[in-house]
Amino acid sequence: MSDATSTIQNRLRDKILPPLIILALALGFWELSVKVLDIPPWLLPAPSDVVDRFFKTTMLWYHTGLTVLEALAGFVISAVLGVSLSAGIVHSRFLERGVFPYVIVSNAIPIIAIIPLLTIWFGFGIAPKIMICSIISFFPIVTNTTRGLKATDRRIIEFMRSINATRSEILLKVQLPSALPFIFASFKIAASLALVGAVVAEFYSSDRGLGYLIITSATQLRTDLLFVAIVVLAALGVSSFMLFGYLERMATRGERTEETR
Amino acid sequence: MEARRQRGPALTEVSATRSVAAGGSARSCIVLDRVSLRFQSERREVQALSDISLSIAEGEFVALLGPTGCGKSSLLRLVSDLLAPTAGTIAVRGEPAAAARRLNQFGFVFQEPALLSWRTALGNVQLPLEVVGYPPDKRITRCMELLNSVGLPKFKDAYPHELSGGMKQRVAMVRALAWNPPILLMDEPFSALDELTRGQLQDDLLQLWNRERKTVLFVTHNISEAIYLADRIVVMSPHPGRIKTILSPDLPRPRTDEMHETQDFLKWIRMAREALQS
Repeated sequence: MSDATSTIQNRLRDKILPPLIILALALGFWELSVKVLDIPPWLLPAPSDVVDRFFKTTMLWYHTGLTVLEALAGFVISAVLGVSLSAGIVHSRFLERGVFPYVIVSNAIPIIAIIPLLTIWFGFGIAPKIMICSIISFFPIVTNTTRGLKATDRRIIEFMRSINATRSEILLKVQLPSALPFIFASFKIAASLALVGAVVAEFYSSDRGLGYLIITSATQLRTDLLFVAIVVLAALGVSSFMLFGYLERMATRGERTEETR
Repeated sequence: MEARRQRGPALTEVSATRSVAAGGSARSCIVLDRVSLRFQSERREVQALSDISLSIAEGEFVALLGPTGCGKSSLLRLVSDLLAPTAGTIAVRGEPAAAARRLNQFGFVFQEPALLSWRTALGNVQLPLEVVGYPPDKRITRCMELLNSVGLPKFKDAYPHELSGGMKQRVAMVRALAWNPPILLMDEPFSALDELTRGQLQDDLLQLWNRERKTVLFVTHNISEAIYLADRIVVMSPHPGRIKTILSPDLPRPRTDEMHETQDFLKWIRMAREALQS
């Protein structure tokens, strides 16, 4: 018991405290500079102004919710399609040779170039944004998952085949679980990309969402609101990164401890 | 560190019926008839095995001994239908190898333990039971019985990274026996272990073999290991892999560690070495 509390204390001291101190120092310096140098708020608002704006912006959670919804929907679609496609690619050489080049092409086209097209086809609503998020997060999921599925221990697959296991049994019991670290690593990247996709898509054509909030506050020189949107986006990015990073660590627990021994 | 455990006396191993193996009067379990295997690699064709004919009796312990590249591992994969022969036929208990595989007759053990890192020792032993359709309510009992037999009951909840090399290989060994297949195929299973652990696992294997009455096909490049374990030793030569000679050491069972120093044992070692080098 005392052991557990002491490790928590250690973690607090070693991992959490140093960045907090740096943050506090930076914010203090920023606040002070703005006040002392008398910088106009449209150029650089003080941290206290940003916090003030944060609590005053009533529509903030509506915009945030919408952006999160778009990113999440696009990400989930990509995750489901991407992992399924990878499973297909690993099982069929034809699919691998036929489809993989296009997966790479999908990554080579700058996503921004597609947004106008999708807007012509699907309008100004939420659908084209979800598609953008899905397209942008598709590539890392497919490449990483395929790599993970292929990295499965050849011997275990031979063992499964020697007991007449079906392909789906091998996939579900061996390949997918062993690819989980790869999959979560790709989710970590894909989730932040999906968020970028949502914001960029909102830049182009939208009347709501965090991307819209950023564009309008920039054109109106409401820099404090701009900062609020950026901080919210940063928080979202960091939390998704931490969530999938945690899942990735959980999934690699066995392998990692083996390596460090 | 290997947890040294209480080893039961090896006296349970009875040898009365074992000697029939050499005579060939017993029922055949695996029959290879003029089997050849060619691999088509990118630049050239490789003759892995050439004209292998071999009959293995039910319950017999056969070692395949030979240098690297003599196709002994390929032979195991042919028997278990993981590879198909280019020529010749393979019958397992009177049926084609593919049928035997469908009937889950093979338990495969590799040089590497090849355990699932996210499953405990118990979970790893259970894996094949989930595939072969073993009654769910009997799975745990069966797995525990097997883990007990190799001295690992306390490690049932341990993950592979928490086990020593010898323990992992023991888990791999009982995993291959979980659903009680009649044939055990072992591909240099102990070659990655240290001398002491290897000796322990050899004795474990002999006990399991005796208790569960398996036909064992055991690939090794270790002469002493082959002689210590097997009824018959198939000596192979490389490029292409073929059978050079077959030795039948008539050493008494149960086999014990002291046997390694007896004149008889050393005589068979010498004969095997000569056969390999000739």
